[in-house]
Amino acid sequence: MLEYKNDIWKALLALAPTLLLMAVFTFYPIVHTVVTAFMEGYSYGVWWSNGNTIGWLDHYGETVMQSSYDSSGNLIGFTQTYVGIGFGNFTSIFKDPTFLAALKNTAIMVIVSVPITVIIGLLISVALNSIKKLQGVFQTIYFLPYVTNTIALGLVFSVLFSSRNGLINSFIEAMGGSRVAWITPFGGGNPSYFTCLFVLMVYTVWDGLAFKILVFLSGMQSIDKQYYQAAQIDSTPRWRVFTKITVPLLSPMIAYITITSFIGAFKAYSSVIAIFNGRYGPRSNPNMLITVVGYTYDKLGKMSNVNEIGRACASALVLFAIIMAITVVELWISKKKVHY
Amino acid sequence: METEQKIEETVVQETPKTSEQQSVEVRLEGLSKVFVDSTKKETKAVWDFNVVIPAGKLIGLLGPSGCGKSTTLYMIAGLHKPSGGKIFFGEDDVTFMPPEKRGIGLVFQNYALFPHLTVKQNILFPLENIRPKMPKEQMLAMAQEMAELVHIGDLMDRKPAQLSGGQQQRVAIARALVKKPKVLLLDEPLSNLDARLRLQTREEIRRIQKETGITTVFVTHDQEEAMSISDEIVVMNYGVQQQKDEPQKVYEEPVNLFVAKFLGNPPINVIDGIVENKQLKLINGQVLDHVDIEDQPVSIGIRPEFFSLDDGLKMDVYVDMVEHIGRDTMALCKIEGYENTVRAIIPSYKKLEANQLIKIGFRRYFVFNKETGERLK
Repeated sequence: MLEYKNDIWKALLALAPTLLLMAVFTFYPIVHTVVTAFMEGYSYGVWWSNGNTIGWLDHYGETVMQSSYDSSGNLIGFTQTYVGIGFGNFTSIFKDPTFLAALKNTAIMVIVSVPITVIIGLLISVALNSIKKLQGVFQTIYFLPYVTNTIALGLVFSVLFSSRNGLINSFIEAMGGSRVAWITPFGGGNPSYFTCLFVLMVYTVWDGLAFKILVFLSGMQSIDKQYYQAAQIDSTPRWRVFTKITVPLLSPMIAYITITSFIGAFKAYSSVIAIFNGRYGPRSNPNMLITVVGYTYDKLGKMSNVNEIGRACASALVLFAIIMAITVVELWISKKKVHY
Repeated sequence: METEQKIEETVVQETPKTSEQQSVEVRLEGLSKVFVDSTKKETKAVWDFNVVIPAGKLIGLLGPSGCGKSTTLYMIAGLHKPSGGKIFFGEDDVTFMPPEKRGIGLVFQNYALFPHLTVKQNILFPLENIRPKMPKEQMLAMAQEMAELVHIGDLMDRKPAQLSGGQQQRVAIARALVKKPKVLLLDEPLSNLDARLRLQTREEIRRIQKETGITTVFVTHDQEEAMSISDEIVVMNYGVQQQKDEPQKVYEEPVNLFVAKFLGNPPINVIDGIVENKQLKLINGQVLDHVDIEDQPVSIGIRPEFFSLDDGLKMDVYVDMVEHIGRDTMALCKIEGYENTVRAIIPSYKKLEANQLIKIGFRRYFVFNKETGERLK
């Protein structure tokens, strides 16, 4: 006899390890980030005592206050402090030219890289799908960046675009052009915003292609061949087959890839670090291509000011709001345009 | 009612226009298709297939699954390249012509309607590929005309998912016919429909074919379907043509045991027998008839409706079970010395009881060679 049993406790037991880890490392930090973003002058630290002195050590490791106290034991407490609740962190980051530059850079990277990767990915997938011989080999080649470390790939690109002995400059010279200061200075000229962005975008597109091709290709292979046969019998031109059959029938994958690409592009950080060897730009202007995530990270790491953690949280929250808004718009559009 | 009549009228009026399209004879000469798999094993899907499909006729390709009938259809369509032989449309050798140049309309088994396009856009699709471009109004008029021919004129703005199976089928036919092909090919056109719709749709296909006068080939594994609407049927097995004739002829005069077994429901009774001294005997020794066949073991085929209680030749059987199926009675009988039962359809007014020993009569029978299945009588 089958009977309904309320197995909620067993289910919770099975879910517990993951829930616990997520609570500690995901949910709590998210909630705390939101809260902290609104705390002005936020700081935290520990109370300590060495028997006759009690002190408060802030998170920079500086002893903020100290007083004599007769007691025993060492660590006696953890405290957070702030001076007020409000939008102070937000107003201050929006006055910070570095944050505004980070917003601008991130926006440019998103607008340039997302359409290019999606379109190139789609075209490569169509090409791969239409060849019969060596399809596996080509698939592997295009998939390699996916299994390769981002930082390693970035190093390869920074070598490729090196001004002195990079492959690209050698090629330009061989073709009769003159060397370009891509990401490192050359002949007294410092790299420009445009050349740096160009290299970064080439790298970002290349790095992102693999996964997109994988998704598009598997999507295409699941489209019923009979649609193509029907189109062939009706002597449909190739371009029309692509726009009228492949793209609409692939639209769920295209929507998925577009949304995840937007999210990924907004979170750009490691690509910049990888290209510029730990900075956000060439030596001449180390913050040239700083991104919002980069800004946030800096605010957490530099710790020069008591207010910095609150600002980091505020900038993270701003990024979250932007991504959220764009994703909602995308989902709304895809509801109208995607054929499931 | 009025609108419906109107549609009928327009259809009748337009008929000469649609049948203006020259219907064309399709000729297959020694057509073969051999598939070679990765282990170099060859499968003869179709072998030395010769058939002439007369212009303007509806021909059913009939056979069990895997008999090569769909492969044949796809070769006529040009989607499969033949391994040997030739295909002619009228005088034109189209064997190596790509499908888009052949002027065919193909209705796929699952219809292959574009799910993201409306019915109208689906029917317009083939027209929009024609160069030089037709005026939009003309294309719309042709699409509407075709939609009305298949009676879906009022569903033009729906998506395929909003249609029933039968309606999707009609859209697929309209899409195949709208560019006025020379040949219409249907791959298992009724297999996705329920029983009632199937009956209705097959009559519909027949009507559309008659009205357009287009040479039509359709593939099916359902004998009833093939027999009911085809001008001629071609029975295939293992890629080889078994028989080609008018449906009733194929049923009445099968050339071999395979055709006899494949057609007919309930199926033909096959009883092992032997010919000795020109006498046809059952293996239990009963003599059935005098025949002009050399001595050999044979298979005797008797269709259930060939039996009667009173007239014809006689056979001793035990009644095993009696099933009343309305007008008739189905009697399952056992013959002494045989494992399997024999099905006989007899009129209901005859009262039979189980385990009764009766002399059952039969008006006709076939005799097949036991080894080759070839018909001897």
